[in-house]
Amino acid sequence: MISVKGLNKSFGELAVLRNVSETIEKGEKVVIIGPSGSGKSTFLRCLNLLEKPTSGEIFFEDVDITKASVKEVNKLRQKMGMVFQHFHLFPHLSIRKNITLAPVKLKLMTQQEADELADELLKKVGLFEKAEAYPNQLSGGQKQRIAIARSLAMKPDVMLFDEPTSALDPEMVGEVLELMKQLAEDGMTMVVVTHEMGFAREVASRVLFMDGGGIVESAPPEEFFSNPKNPRLKEFLSKVL
Amino acid sequence: MDASAIAETAEAHGGFLDAVGEFFAGIGDSLYENFVVDDRWLYLVKGLGSTLLITLFALLIGLLLGFVVAIIRATHDKTGRFKILNGICKVYLTVIRGTPVVVQLLIIYFVIFGSVNIDKIFVAVLAFGLNSGAYVAEIVRSGIMSIDNGQFEAGSSLGFSYTQTMVSIILPQAFKNVLPALANEFIVLLKETSVSGYIAIEDLTKGGDIIRSQTYDAFLPLIAVALIYLAIVMLLSHLVSRLERRLAKNDKR
Repeated sequence: MISVKGLNKSFGELAVLRNVSETIEKGEKVVIIGPSGSGKSTFLRCLNLLEKPTSGEIFFEDVDITKASVKEVNKLRQKMGMVFQHFHLFPHLSIRKNITLAPVKLKLMTQQEADELADELLKKVGLFEKAEAYPNQLSGGQKQRIAIARSLAMKPDVMLFDEPTSALDPEMVGEVLELMKQLAEDGMTMVVVTHEMGFAREVASRVLFMDGGGIVESAPPEEFFSNPKNPRLKEFLSKVL
Repeated sequence: MDASAIAETAEAHGGFLDAVGEFFAGIGDSLYENFVVDDRWLYLVKGLGSTLLITLFALLIGLLLGFVVAIIRATHDKTGRFKILNGICKVYLTVIRGTPVVVQLLIIYFVIFGSVNIDKIFVAVLAFGLNSGAYVAEIVRSGIMSIDNGQFEAGSSLGFSYTQTMVSIILPQAFKNVLPALANEFIVLLKETSVSGYIAIEDLTKGGDIIRSQTYDAFLPLIAVALIYLAIVMLLSHLVSRLERRLAKNDKR
């Protein structure tokens, strides 16, 4: 579904990604872990071109998105949901409007269809009673669940999560991870950058370890955690587990 | 204090009290002389009409121009597009903000439109609109730049184009944030139009001044003019704070 070939990304002199190649199949739940500064967020943000790669190719459903026009990129992004560390809900809109804005403005649904979908999604994320509230009235965990619902309203083929629980109070991490687990069970293709090792172990179909701008290990979670091969990964796991 | 001392004090203050008394006794006559004789109140009414007309249309031009310039400048800052337009906008801002509005008004009237017969009100609307646009532009730009970049990214990640993100997500938030500063700019604009008399427009200020020159009484005409400005500004402030409260409904926690 997503295929990355020889991806490089530099910010000025600083090379953040060095020649990364990776293929993500439909239905996979890929969890990316690694120390900060290893390039995992940049890698994720390259997948929907929030960061423009310096060189390399990224195929999404067989289209090289690095060569696509601005219009085509906008179209492709409709099919790639993204959830941010800091939620980025629209503070001037009610929760319902946050969810329905994109499908209605992009003329994928009428307001009525979108409202019905919003009701359904709000029930799914357990926040139906907050439909008319505003983002500032919600807790961090609730905001992140709404952000997920907002992405789902576009009926994406893949969901990208950029450290979705890193900005949350510890007691709110669980509710967001629970929702993500539910999504995984529904068969959504997911790419998740996180520090939640428990989530990686339990939900991932494959875990990637990034270090120094490259993917240095890729394995199913059982093997990844019990029998790591890369010395840098061994060191990392000994510190975080 | 005995009775003679009180009488003495009263004597000492008598001059001042007399003057105050005379002033109030004469105010009826003064009002009559300044505003009723020869229908002089019409100078104020017609002047107010011109002032409001100039302010209203200059406001519209200023807002339109200001938003366009702000969006061009912010887009250039964020994406690097519109290099040439951004350069033009910068020159415009520098020139307008670097010279007094009276001078701009005089140049537009006597230099740019010097050789053609043109409606003075139109010239004033143009001059004040161009002037206000520069200030509105920087106010709105600061509003756009104050919005977290995450809002742009959230818009993009949902498949919105830059323009759609700007219109549906950024500008509504930016507008709310800069409303107090915009209201301030409108108040300044209203009062700045008082220099329209320089190109012989009979606006509110000029109207009061004409009465003064006919009656040789400075006090009442000028105080009347000041009170009218004050009343309009207070009304405007009231309306803006009501709008602010309406837009603030999503801030409640």
